[in-house]
Order: sequence, then C-alpha cells, then structure tokens
Amino acid sequence: MSLSARVTWRSFQAGALRMIFPGLASLPFGIGFGFAAAQKGLSAFETTLMSLTVMAGTSQMVALDIWVQPLPLVALAVSVFVANLRYFVMGAALQPYIPSLPWWLQPPVWYATVDQNWALNIAEYRRGHGDLGKFLGGGFVMGLIWPGACLLGHLAAGGVLSDPTAARRLGLDFVGVAVFVVVAAILFRGKRDLAPWAIAIVVALAAKWAIGGNWYIVIGGLAGGLYGAARDMNHKKKRDVGQS
Amino acid sequence: MSASPENLVAIFVMALAAMAAKGGGFLAMRWLGRHRFILAVLDHAPGAVLVSAAVVPIVNAGGAFVAGAIVAAVVTRTFGGFTPGLFAAVGAVALARWAGLP
Repeated sequence: MSLSARVTWRSFQAGALRMIFPGLASLPFGIGFGFAAAQKGLSAFETTLMSLTVMAGTSQMVALDIWVQPLPLVALAVSVFVANLRYFVMGAALQPYIPSLPWWLQPPVWYATVDQNWALNIAEYRRGHGDLGKFLGGGFVMGLIWPGACLLGHLAAGGVLSDPTAARRLGLDFVGVAVFVVVAAILFRGKRDLAPWAIAIVVALAAKWAIGGNWYIVIGGLAGGLYGAARDMNHKKKRDVGQS
Repeated sequence: MSASPENLVAIFVMALAAMAAKGGGFLAMRWLGRHRFILAVLDHAPGAVLVSAAVVPIVNAGGAFVAGAIVAAVVTRTFGGFTPGLFAAVGAVALARWAGLP
C-alpha cells in the first residue's frame, strides 16, 4: 500500500471532526427531502436507507419527481446517474493523488466523494498534505448527518423542523455555498487561475440559463479546466519552440 | 419499520447508479491519467468546478449571498485556513439578512 492510501485512526478522527459544521449545512435540505419523501409515501426506513446508500441529495430529489408505482427503474437509474455526473469530474480530479488504492478501499472512497468533503480534501491534496484518513472520516460524518437529517424531516413532516426560515435567518442556508467559496479562495494561485475561472463562471451561468438543473457544475468545471489546459499546453509549446 | 420489496429494489438501483457516477471518474482516470493534456485539465478542474458550483446559487440568491461570498474570500485570503472564512461568511449572510438584504 502506498503512503497516500494509508489510513490512521487519528487522521480519520480529524477529518470527521472538521466535517461536522460543513455537514450541518445539509440539515435544511435533508429535512426538506425527508418531508418530501413522506409526502410521496416512503416509510421512514426507506427514506433513511435511500439517503444512506445513495447519499446525494439532488439526485434523490430528482428521483422523487418520478417516484410513481410501478417504479420506473431504468429512468430512476439514469436520472440518478446524470444528476451525479459532477462526482465523475470530482473523482477524476482526486484520483491522481490516490493512484494506488487497494480494491477494498475504492468503494468507501467513492462513497465519501460528496461536495463539501471533496472540496476540503482536494485543497489539501493540491497543497501536498492530503490524507485519505481525513477524507474517509469526513465521508463517515456526512454518512451520518445526511440520513439523520432526512429521517428527522420524515418524522417531523409538517412540523416546525420543515420550516426553513429559521436556518435562513441565521445564514445557515449559505454554509454549503460558503464551503465552495472558502476552498476556492484557498486554492487560488493568482493570475494563472483568473482566465480559467472566469470562463468557468460565464459558462456555468450560461448552462444554468440554457439547460437548467445542476449541469452547470459539470459544464462550467469542464470548460474552465479545458481552457486552462489548452492555454498551458500552448504556452509550453511556445516556450519549447523558443528554446530550440 | 416498513419497506416494500419494490421500493427496496428501486433504492438499490439508485445506490448503484450513484456509485457508478462517483466511481466512474476514479476508474476512468486509471486509463486517461497518463495523458499530459488530461493532467493539465485536472490541474485546473477543481477550482473551475468550485467556482461553477458557487456562482449560480450566489447569483440566484443575490444580496446576502454576494456579501457572504465577498467576506468569505477576503477573510480566507487574509487570515488563511478554512474555519475563519466559513464562520465569517455565515455571519455576514446573517447580518446582511438582518440589515434587510434578500
């Protein structure tokens, strides 16, 4: 096992602890999902099981939209896969930092690839001190908070917990977005990131306007990444020509 | 605790689809990862994904989220680290809402 795939209890704990506050950001959404699932007739057990095994809120909400008996299994699979395509890009970005994972650690790593956990850990890997234990610890906490929030929403369907105004007043509805902004600020490398990020922002807004849904994350991310790569390769080619 | 077999099968299918999307990126990179262009894309992709994910909710929500994003970026760059930026951002949004911003 390579060093990058080593997991210690201490790093697992550290990763779990620091994910508690960002994880709480999913409470209002989870409660909302639990409430919606109850309205659709899912039991508390089914709601919790779905949240624990799928662990991807947007795709679960999309699935609820087409949740009618008899259940359209192919449509459910396709819509969940498509709604989660951003994780494909996130996984691809993380893989080079943990290239030699043993087969038995791969499914837990895939499972732990959720927005806030990925954002925090990719920042550390990029700065050269990423830790798989922290990544798995963060995923473990998310795997507790998300199904717990969904169960809470299911049990309290219609009660005070389904009222999102309290979280809004306290600014807690911003926590999920704030994680992205803070990590982006940490990752920012100055001038060389400006143009790719500007391209990503413009393309993401255009994609949201033209297509809707959450495709904008994948499309904007790929646009910024492709532009940055093309520019860097071009600069390198020019440098090589200049030297020869 | 109740569960219908049909619902359980659907939940299982959904879980497989989610894992396929999450694991697909890791698996694809085992074959594509040696290409220089792909590595260059992935050098820029994390930041691009983050700003793409952040910009739409910020633009949609407007006022308070914009204030929160600016405070988050400034505090994080000034003080460094994750926690001060996150707490300052949430506090800024709460303050902005209290001041009447949407």
